[in-house]
Amino acid sequence: MTARIDRGLVLGLLLTGLFLAGAAGLEGTQRARLQRIHEEELLYYPSGVAVRQAALGYETAAADLTWLRGIQYYGEHRLTDQKYVLIGHVMDIVTELDPAFTQPYVFGAFVMAQELHEPQRGLDLLTRGMRANPTDWRLAFEVGFLHYVSRHDYASAARYFTWASRLPGHEDYVPRFAAFANGRAGNTGMAILLWKQVLATGNEYMQDVAKRELNRLGAP
Amino acid sequence: MRILAIARNTVREAVRERLMLVLGLFGFALLLGSQALSPLALGEGRKVVIDFGLAGSMLLATLLSVFLGARLLQKELERKTLDSILAKPVRREEFVLGKFFGLWFTTAVLLAAEALILASVVTVAYGRTPWTIAGATALSVIELGIVTAVVVLFSSFTTPALTAFFGIAAVVVGHFAEDLHYFATHGAPLLVRAMTEAVYWALPHLSVFNARGLAVHDIAVEPERMLFAIGYGGLYIAALMIFAGTIFRRRELK
Repeated sequence: MTARIDRGLVLGLLLTGLFLAGAAGLEGTQRARLQRIHEEELLYYPSGVAVRQAALGYETAAADLTWLRGIQYYGEHRLTDQKYVLIGHVMDIVTELDPAFTQPYVFGAFVMAQELHEPQRGLDLLTRGMRANPTDWRLAFEVGFLHYVSRHDYASAARYFTWASRLPGHEDYVPRFAAFANGRAGNTGMAILLWKQVLATGNEYMQDVAKRELNRLGAP
Repeated sequence: MRILAIARNTVREAVRERLMLVLGLFGFALLLGSQALSPLALGEGRKVVIDFGLAGSMLLATLLSVFLGARLLQKELERKTLDSILAKPVRREEFVLGKFFGLWFTTAVLLAAEALILASVVTVAYGRTPWTIAGATALSVIELGIVTAVVVLFSSFTTPALTAFFGIAAVVVGHFAEDLHYFATHGAPLLVRAMTEAVYWALPHLSVFNARGLAVHDIAVEPERMLFAIGYGGLYIAALMIFAGTIFRRRELK
């Protein structure tokens, strides 16, 4: 009886392993197609409002999942075609689900301005973030940053840096940038300082863009 | 005292269930998994870990409450143990209440233990203790009380499968209540509006107990909100348990 059970168990395990290996093998032959399907899924992500209804009290966890998916999307395209057309859509969903989550506003705006060369869309996202988080200095600072380095609108940049310097909890460098921007608008040295700040405080992807920009500006 | 004895027995029974162990392991794996995900979150690891940890443990405790509770009374009927209990000077209402408190205590302890694990993981990994999850967990415990009361109510007169179905349905509509109210009060005909209003007030408003979104952003639950949640939850649970006791008292036991 015991021997029969053991034989049955071994056979069962072997068959399970065999079928799993078969499924993995089949998937291996279709990697490219699956990659495309995976990406198409993002296109069919409903709006943040719809996802919010379906999240049933787990909105912030759903926002995190979408955020991780968005970073994965960015990372994959960074290594391949460097097209990030859906990044705005994904960050819109994340911020609809969790309006107090500030990193997606900053990262989404940064990618739209620097990689897609659509600074206005980036500024729109950040403005929405500022409306939802009026006391967050980081968002006001990023608006100033985009005005300075992407739109070369130095007056607006100075205004937003000054605004950020008046919000609670701001870092020491914020009033310095506000003073620089007011006094040295249009100066390349100021742009270099801003990019160095991204290099020091941004996430790994933002740091890579900062290195590229610093090289372009001939910074040491 | 008799209620306490039944509750203690229910806790003992729940602890003996393998489901408890499986779900406990699942919760632990979830915490480890969310920790593994944090490097991919571009500096937002702490938020992601707290978020997934809170969401996972609440989901787990809710499922535990629904699936353990669904068979709570049925098991006693099948094993004929109910007859011997009711032969003693125990009122049926006391039996139902004991079952409710036992199950609620079990799931609440599980939730609290998971919150403690989560707080320890976050403190060790990120060097800052997420104190705000205490308030969010306390509110979730009250929500679990409502879910448990719904499950005990349905298990007092229907089958385990239907009890599980109604338990999950209560969680879903409980979180939809505010939206239902919004849609009904915006443009619906008068009769529909009146009916929806009645349904809205009868449904448990579970969003009252959801402070997970605050906890992940390090915002503490305000004392007024906590007091309101305790009052609302206590009254709602009392209403459901009175109803469950009334039904179970009239039920014919074969």
